[in-house]
Amino acid sequence: MTTRYRRHPELRLTALEGEGVVLHLGTRRYFSVSESGLALLEALETARTADDLARALTARYTVTLEHAAASVGAFLERCRGLDVLLVDREP
Amino acid sequence: MTPAIAVQCAHADVAAAVRAWLARSRLEPSAPVTLAIEVGDPELVGSDERAAFWQPGVVVRAGPPQGGVRIAWETAPAVADLPPGATTARVVLSAAAAARIEECLRTFMLTVLVLLLRRIGWHHIHAAMALDPQERGWLIAGNAEAGKSTTAALLASCGWAVGTDDVSFLTGQGGAVSAIAYRTPIALRPGGRRLVQRVAAAGGVLLPERRKVGYWPEELGGRWISRVEPEVIMFTSVGTGGAVTEAEPLGQRETLIELIRWSAWVILESELAEQHLALLTALARQARSYRVTLGRDLFARPARLAELVA
Repeated sequence: MTTRYRRHPELRLTALEGEGVVLHLGTRRYFSVSESGLALLEALETARTADDLARALTARYTVTLEHAAASVGAFLERCRGLDVLLVDREP
Repeated sequence: MTPAIAVQCAHADVAAAVRAWLARSRLEPSAPVTLAIEVGDPELVGSDERAAFWQPGVVVRAGPPQGGVRIAWETAPAVADLPPGATTARVVLSAAAAARIEECLRTFMLTVLVLLLRRIGWHHIHAAMALDPQERGWLIAGNAEAGKSTTAALLASCGWAVGTDDVSFLTGQGGAVSAIAYRTPIALRPGGRRLVQRVAAAGGVLLPERRKVGYWPEELGGRWISRVEPEVIMFTSVGTGGAVTEAEPLGQRETLIELIRWSAWVILESELAEQHLALLTALARQARSYRVTLGRDLFARPARLAELVA
């Protein structure tokens, strides 16, 4: 089973001072995200696995793949609560 | 010259009231928009089951499946439809709404106008707007209890130019963000009237339905200004018992979060939200911003506000 994530089409992102602000037009909520969180949401314009996202972080920041995977896991968990991701599961 | 905000209405009294209201507001949009108003039965417009966005007395529905925006007045039956991309608002007022036209204009029709002007890139923000003696543009944003009107009156009494105490529109022009004023009297409650000394000498206009008295900036010793490029933004609140006015600088991200809060229509209509958010982001970069707790010292020393951002 492969799980791919995409950002909700109703999200609007903007970057300021290296960080991000996210507007969710669907839920009418808004919140700020860290620089790496913004990078992940930008990457999620197209469907990605958690491994894809972890590798994207290692390409951008000086972190181990293990550390990046843990960060991605925490990020995805937070995103679930905010209804900002669409999840596709392929057998 | 054709007015930029055209009014189509066969009901003579309603048409006259709407045109007078628009003339008072002194809004001059850069592109034409139209208010097409009829007095009839709002029930015939049909129901709208989309999620509601509530304002005092006004209900706004937007988004799929039909797109566009539907605005309804709760005080008396009235409905306005703004189809996707349209620059004409189709408004149906019941006879009861037409009979309360001044109240209708101040609440329902103002919301219609706000959402109509959004179609030409004018984005509403709950903010007072002023120009200080150094020619710096100011926005003072916050809710109805944030001290915007009292501060605007105080600044006018010090000779500042004041555009509005509550309703501004943001628009991008030549790479800079401008704030445009919707002209209405600065509306003060009795507490504010007592504190702004110059108000005592000015006549003011009684606004009984709002339990306030309205003053034009000119009556208070200032002047009116239609547009500024904001360099300073204050997100104000009134201190509880605090005597001293204090300001805390905000970063751009915190500023943007606050701007979204006070320019809340940004969440409507995805095709406009991107432009609206980009404008707020540009404003967050353009201006220095502060979270300000207003204290009573300001009445004796209004210059403190400018000193805090010097």
